[in-house]
Amino acid sequence: MNNRLEEIRKKRGIKQEELAAALEVSRQTVGSLENGRYNPSILLAFKIARFFDLRIEEIFIYEEDERV
Amino acid sequence: MNKSISPYFFALAGVALLAVGVYFIKTTDDPHGLLRALPYIFVGIGSGSFGHGMEGILLRYAKNHAPAAAKQLEIERNDERNTALANRAKAKAYDMISFVFGALILAFSIMGIDFTVLVLLVCAYLFMLVYNSYYRYKYHKEM
Repeated sequence: MNNRLEEIRKKRGIKQEELAAALEVSRQTVGSLENGRYNPSILLAFKIARFFDLRIEEIFIYEEDERV
Repeated sequence: MNKSISPYFFALAGVALLAVGVYFIKTTDDPHGLLRALPYIFVGIGSGSFGHGMEGILLRYAKNHAPAAAKQLEIERNDERNTALANRAKAKAYDMISFVFGALILAFSIMGIDFTVLVLLVCAYLFMLVYNSYYRYKYHKEM
């Protein structure tokens, strides 16, 4: 799964630490999400979408041929 | 563990057990039966209890004196990625333990170790597998 988290965050001028604090996750988690090394739970995905006032699909891009 | 029990109790009980264990190790010249192992069990449980208690005391101290650090600690503890990492590591460790246990039982049986020890090891191994199956079934019902 790809995501536009880094792009959206930077566009809004938010630091990783600030996003992490707002989502109540560690800064490393935000980093891993942005690098695509970690896929969030559906709850965290909703939290992120709600934080940016976007839909989940606007942030996370599902790829069909992906191995879960 | 019961959170209503004060961490000071755990720390003090730990120190007391540790002291009793060390006292028996130093003073008992020719221990027999249970007394051979009991002091070391006291030291082990005492150390664990002391560590658990101190963790609680330090957490309380951090909450009162550095709320930001305490909040960060709580975030790190509840962080879903950290939880996923811990669970994955535990799963890997379980796989390794199953393998090591199997190898150990095989090695002990070849070495002709006492049958009681072998039976105990096999029982422990089977208990682990049954425990795994039980939780698999339980989670299967829940999810």
